[in-house]
Amino acid sequence: MADVVLSEEQHEALVTMVVRGMARGEATAEQTALAEAGLILIKGPMMMPTPAGTAYVSELMRLPDDAPQRERIMATFERFLPVNRQLRDLCTAWQVRPDGSVNDHADENYDADIRDRLDDIDDAVAPLLKRFSEDIPRMTGYRGKLTESLEKLDDGDNAWLASPLIDSYHTVWMHLHQELLLTIGMSRKEDEELEERLVSGAGA
Amino acid sequence: MTRASWTQPVDDVGLVPFGKGIERGFDQRLLCTRGMQLEILAGLGLPVGAGLTIPVPNVPGVTSADRAKAAMNLLENISGRQISGTTDTGGLVLLRLSASAPVEAAGLPPDLVCLGLKRSVIPEGLGSRARADLAAAWWKSAAFIAEHALNVPGDELGTLDMDYPDPVERVDPFKRLCEEQGSAPFPTKRSEQVAAGARAMIERWNSPRAARARRKQNLPPDLPLALHLETVVVTEHDNEGNGFAISREMDTGVFAPNGAFRHGFRLSGERQHVGHPLSELPEGVEMLTGVLAELEGRLRSAVIVDFEYGPEGLALVGLEQIRRPSARVATSLAVDLAIRGIIEEDEAVDQTDASHVLELLHPQPKLTGQEVVLVTGLGASPGAAVGQIALDSETAVEMSEAGLPVLLVMSETTPGDLPGMMAADGILTVNGGSASHAAVVARGMGRPAVCGAGGLRIDREARTITSGEHTLSEGAVVSLDGATGVAYVGELSIERPTPSPSLTTLLTWADDARRLGVRANADNGPDMEVAVDNGAEGIGLCRTEHQFMGDRLPLVRAVILSHDLDAEEAALAALADAQREDFRELLRAVGDRPVTVRLLDAPMHEFLPSDPEELADVHQRRMLDHLHEENPMLGVRGVRLALMHEGLYPAQVEGLFNAWVDVVASDDIRPQLEVMIPLVSIPDELVMMLRLIRRVNQQVSSRTGMIIPFTIGTMVETPRAALMADRLAQWAEFLSFGTNDLTQLTYGFSRDDVERRMLGTYLEKGLMTASPFAELDGEGVATLMEYAAAKARAVRPGIKLGICGEHGGDPSSIALCEQLGLDYVSCSPTRIPVARLAAAHARIRTTATDS
Repeated sequence: MADVVLSEEQHEALVTMVVRGMARGEATAEQTALAEAGLILIKGPMMMPTPAGTAYVSELMRLPDDAPQRERIMATFERFLPVNRQLRDLCTAWQVRPDGSVNDHADENYDADIRDRLDDIDDAVAPLLKRFSEDIPRMTGYRGKLTESLEKLDDGDNAWLASPLIDSYHTVWMHLHQELLLTIGMSRKEDEELEERLVSGAGA
Repeated sequence: MTRASWTQPVDDVGLVPFGKGIERGFDQRLLCTRGMQLEILAGLGLPVGAGLTIPVPNVPGVTSADRAKAAMNLLENISGRQISGTTDTGGLVLLRLSASAPVEAAGLPPDLVCLGLKRSVIPEGLGSRARADLAAAWWKSAAFIAEHALNVPGDELGTLDMDYPDPVERVDPFKRLCEEQGSAPFPTKRSEQVAAGARAMIERWNSPRAARARRKQNLPPDLPLALHLETVVVTEHDNEGNGFAISREMDTGVFAPNGAFRHGFRLSGERQHVGHPLSELPEGVEMLTGVLAELEGRLRSAVIVDFEYGPEGLALVGLEQIRRPSARVATSLAVDLAIRGIIEEDEAVDQTDASHVLELLHPQPKLTGQEVVLVTGLGASPGAAVGQIALDSETAVEMSEAGLPVLLVMSETTPGDLPGMMAADGILTVNGGSASHAAVVARGMGRPAVCGAGGLRIDREARTITSGEHTLSEGAVVSLDGATGVAYVGELSIERPTPSPSLTTLLTWADDARRLGVRANADNGPDMEVAVDNGAEGIGLCRTEHQFMGDRLPLVRAVILSHDLDAEEAALAALADAQREDFRELLRAVGDRPVTVRLLDAPMHEFLPSDPEELADVHQRRMLDHLHEENPMLGVRGVRLALMHEGLYPAQVEGLFNAWVDVVASDDIRPQLEVMIPLVSIPDELVMMLRLIRRVNQQVSSRTGMIIPFTIGTMVETPRAALMADRLAQWAEFLSFGTNDLTQLTYGFSRDDVERRMLGTYLEKGLMTASPFAELDGEGVATLMEYAAAKARAVRPGIKLGICGEHGGDPSSIALCEQLGLDYVSCSPTRIPVARLAAAHARIRTTATDS
């Protein structure tokens, strides 16, 4: 794919598509061009990156092993993963009550407790995002997006915590996590193993 | 509890050791939930942890070091331990400050653990685990106090946290930060630490964050706090630790204490779910088992207790009643309490929710023992799914577009797999637990999922999956159960489970308690078998319409579209034979029970082709044109059709009576026949049909030499029928309210149109609180029913009254039927258990109101 030359807009559109995994709606000019280059696939109203598109972005975003900021990013990333686990556990609790039944959001006390604990997670991730942003400029936008989803959640629409179909708190978090993995050049599997190691090491 | 009572001044209420509140006249308003939990535990004579409550009115006082010191002194007396001193086993004694409100509330400040550290120095001489736990817990408490009582910016604390990963090394920079940026240095005196902790908790409880939590729970903005002060022993010894125990197994509901414990002190107010199983407790679980049984009996709910253990044994430090138990827990608990004699059987029935019954009988994959398990993982998103496997997102999308059911099978999923997950009917992953991306997203989309099926290997090159001896290629059919976490090779059918033993017991008790009979709407033998399994006492509505569909359709068409009598008679004779067969099968399933057979009721157009070209006969085509109706639901249907084709109902009952004679002879059963005429609104419609049916009865009797007993009755489904119920009752031996049509005609609603287009707006505008087709209209339709029932009984006192609309399975409608004094309700076979329970509820609650 080295011979593909993308405009800045096309590049940005491709990165967004790989981070988000998909897009829906009418294809933009950039997206149409990307499809023609074989980097994304347009299927009716749905678009997704092709393996070639994903490989292109992975190669482009990955920091070189000897990049000076790499060590700092990894150190912050290791602080991020335990918080990541907390967020996933919280989303699970939001969807499923401890007895395994689906959370029907009829128990105000239960929901309010989860919402309250989300503030702890949001507080914990704030300094990490700040630090990531110093080395990875693309990370700057996530703080605002997380806050936006929280505001919508507090306006009373429960979907804004964990729904995968909108830019909910969980969705935005997944995107920023994905972007970190692309930057570090770490696979999802390695990431999960590292998280498990960090969480069990800290807790037992 | 009014808001005023929380703010009433109480004079010098002092400090209250755990378990001494009630005897001193305190209640939950002052002790708050945590204080009250310990009162309950101590009141049962159970050992409780050493601690005291600072009741609501005293909380502001304890923000001063003097009062904090007094609380610490009292705690030293209660516990027999010196704060900052060491125990016999070398443990360091510190403090825990926690908060609770007069009611269960989210948004409380976190527990402050490990207060009282001398000069805030993490001491040497502890083991490495104890020291690490202590440093982590102390940092959390200290940072909380710094942020909320000393106004140190949270950002700065976050930065410190990152710059000094080791909390021991963080202590000195932290103290400097407080001096430089805080309103005061971090307190060195232990009583000042406690006072500052109390201040921080109050500040946090007054913060926008906590205010939001109260608002979300509809709690008063000025809900107060009580504080609780306890000792914490920081130790390296394995014979000291803490844990929790739940009285019941969550998935079965059975009483079986389970939980987890860990060595060391409680790190936070939140339960740590990871740890050793209770069976490994040094003391064993006997005492906890006894405690939980005692508490369940006293509180009549499933419970969780938090405990600590040490050289002196076990002490209880927390209690939670499970407020919203699962269906299995609720039913199992209710039966256990009744068997123990703690509640009456009626109470057990009364406290069982109809939704629990529905949940327990929710469809599940049907297991025969013959199915082949592919792999087992975690049940990550409930529900069952069957589909062809796809090994990547793109393939899943393609298969779904081709109209195939798809199961997406992947090692793990990433946001990039969202298109495939949306396209899939179910998701199976090799890695990840119930909080993995796949699980969270699957639940968010309502897709069943099994995650963490570690026994599965995916070969992306060969496009196969392998587990043990099974290798399946992409496209093979797999079934999965997202509740149990099992994936099966091939297609599994989905069916309703049999009731659990607890549910069976409760339903038997419900049968003892109810007055209303419960019958089924069943049209054939298999339906009736399900109904009988579910406890139906008979059939309240057998719709004969379906017997006219399929290969019988030409016969009915021949009757309706006939142009010569011979052809009609031949068709009727064939119909009578066909019906005889149908009814034989049905009556065998009915046995000796009553069965109400409703003669043909469908609107005529359901039997006629929409396209005249389907008819070969040119006369029939002309007739079809002639029979066109503008509004078939209000046109020639029910008894009206039967009056226009007078051979129709006699043919049906001839089939029925012959079938009865057949099964009496062959099966030695005597079904109680009840023949029901639909859509009557003029009493003479009923009279004319009655004469025809009696004539057929006599004919079959004389031919077979058997008297065929039957009763005859009518549906009440038009307002006119309800208004004329006394006249109908002169002839009818039973009346059955067809509340679907009665509701349509009373409102003048066309159900489909109204539910699709209008109902949402009406619910939104508050014109209705529920669809009148789901919940019987208690004001209008029920008034008509009440009038009809009274008029009918005046003429025929013992007349049997029932309901056979869908309302017959709805709890609130069943309660109305109880009030109206109906004899039975009839509902779909699968709703029978709900109806049995709801009928018992209606009776128990009516009786309670009467007395």
